[in-house]
Amino acid sequence: MLALDVRHIHKKFPAFELKDVSFQLEKGYIMGFIGVNGAGKTTTIKSILNMTRIDSGEVYILGKNMAEHELELKQEIGFAFGSIDFYTRSKIKTLTDTIKRFYENWDDQIYSSYMKRFNLDENRKIAELSTGMKVKYSLTLALSHGAKLLILDEPTSGLDPASRDDLLDLFQELIADGEVSILFSTHITSDLEKCADYITFISNGQIVLSGEKDEFKESYLLVNGSEGQLAQVEDRMISYKTNSFGFTGLIHADDFDPTSGIRAATPSLEDIMIYYARKGGQNHD
Amino acid sequence: MINLIRKDIRLGVHPLLLSMPVLMGVLMFVPGWIYYIVILYFCWITIPNMFNQLRAQNDLMFTSMMPVTKRDIVKARIIVIAGLELAHVVVALIFGLVSQRFYSDITYFFFPPNLGFFGLCLVMLAIFNLIFIPMYYKTAYKFGMALLISTVAATLFAGITQWIGIANSGMNRMFYGTEANHLAVQAYILIAGIVIFIALTAVAYRMAVKRFLQVEIQ
Repeated sequence: MLALDVRHIHKKFPAFELKDVSFQLEKGYIMGFIGVNGAGKTTTIKSILNMTRIDSGEVYILGKNMAEHELELKQEIGFAFGSIDFYTRSKIKTLTDTIKRFYENWDDQIYSSYMKRFNLDENRKIAELSTGMKVKYSLTLALSHGAKLLILDEPTSGLDPASRDDLLDLFQELIADGEVSILFSTHITSDLEKCADYITFISNGQIVLSGEKDEFKESYLLVNGSEGQLAQVEDRMISYKTNSFGFTGLIHADDFDPTSGIRAATPSLEDIMIYYARKGGQNHD
Repeated sequence: MINLIRKDIRLGVHPLLLSMPVLMGVLMFVPGWIYYIVILYFCWITIPNMFNQLRAQNDLMFTSMMPVTKRDIVKARIIVIAGLELAHVVVALIFGLVSQRFYSDITYFFFPPNLGFFGLCLVMLAIFNLIFIPMYYKTAYKFGMALLISTVAATLFAGITQWIGIANSGMNRMFYGTEANHLAVQAYILIAGIVIFIALTAVAYRMAVKRFLQVEIQ
């Protein structure tokens, strides 16, 4: 069963456009949603959550159409927006007490257990929490109302390495029983190397590729060779950099001829993101 | 719906603003004052503070994440606004009637705090709502221009009706009179004020929902 099925979303803004955004997330898995700043990650997430009015396209969550079943589905979705704070001067206790009334399946026991586990004190104000604590509080809220799909916008940005690692372990733990699915956007690709099962890569408002993580990486090659070899592959490369030793660039694995003598290796997610960003910029140097 | 109203009252509206009807209502005991000001403080103080807080705390984003419809988001907010307005009017009315007994020998130059005057206050607030609410819901976060225009309109209404009440002898008798027939007319004016308040606020709600459905949440 699909936890999330995004079909052909189009949305035109004056200066930006989401073009035919489609991807699917299987239930019980973690999908990393990557792209550089401004690639369209948050806009896509807002479109999924019906916060942005899309021009065309459909979103299905847990098999139901989001546009038609928004209220029902929002009961099943948990959100965390890493960069946005709400009611920072209010105490956690007050905020929780207000939020929990919106949810039919709120479970106080689950809430207390996660508050305890994350060392969150109900009497503290949101403003007093560290970035990591805020994400953990958002997760506590989501899990306490029994969310089946967690949509997290840059939850790890701004966290120190230890907190990030801790959070990623938690993500793994949450999906262990196969009920919860997680979509999280990030531009910190090392997070995904650690815990994502699937990767969806967006660049300039378009999905470049969405698939299983290793397959995703293996569908590209990072090639490097001398300046003389550049001419052999230049027209097929996604983008490349040159320096005094030669060139390094990204190419689709299918477009690469292994007999050419050019060195090739599987790129990291970061390499893929960087070379696609250069392609957008058209700034070969 | 009730959860949204509770959310606004617990998180969005500062407790001081909730006590404003009483704090401002006490001003009804200033003898012979321009009592319109007591109600206008709602537009001048409560609304800007409340909407500033809502904007600063990202209320729009917060509320949109809850399992609620956009229609209910608007409805709950209007209930909170209208509720506060009515609280201002009711408290001022009670204190006003007491004040009138208290200063029985005073000659009112501005409107005395009788039922007719509060009918006018309700019309003034209705005009405020009709302008402020639909203008605000064009973006659901920018409130400056909406507040400026709606407050100027409400203040102008107060100024013009007060001027007519002083300058026109017929109107003066209607609003200042203390005879039984005057009191009956004043009661009718209050009822008319209530009807106009409900009608214009309902129109504001419909316009606001229509606009808010087009808003991109940010």
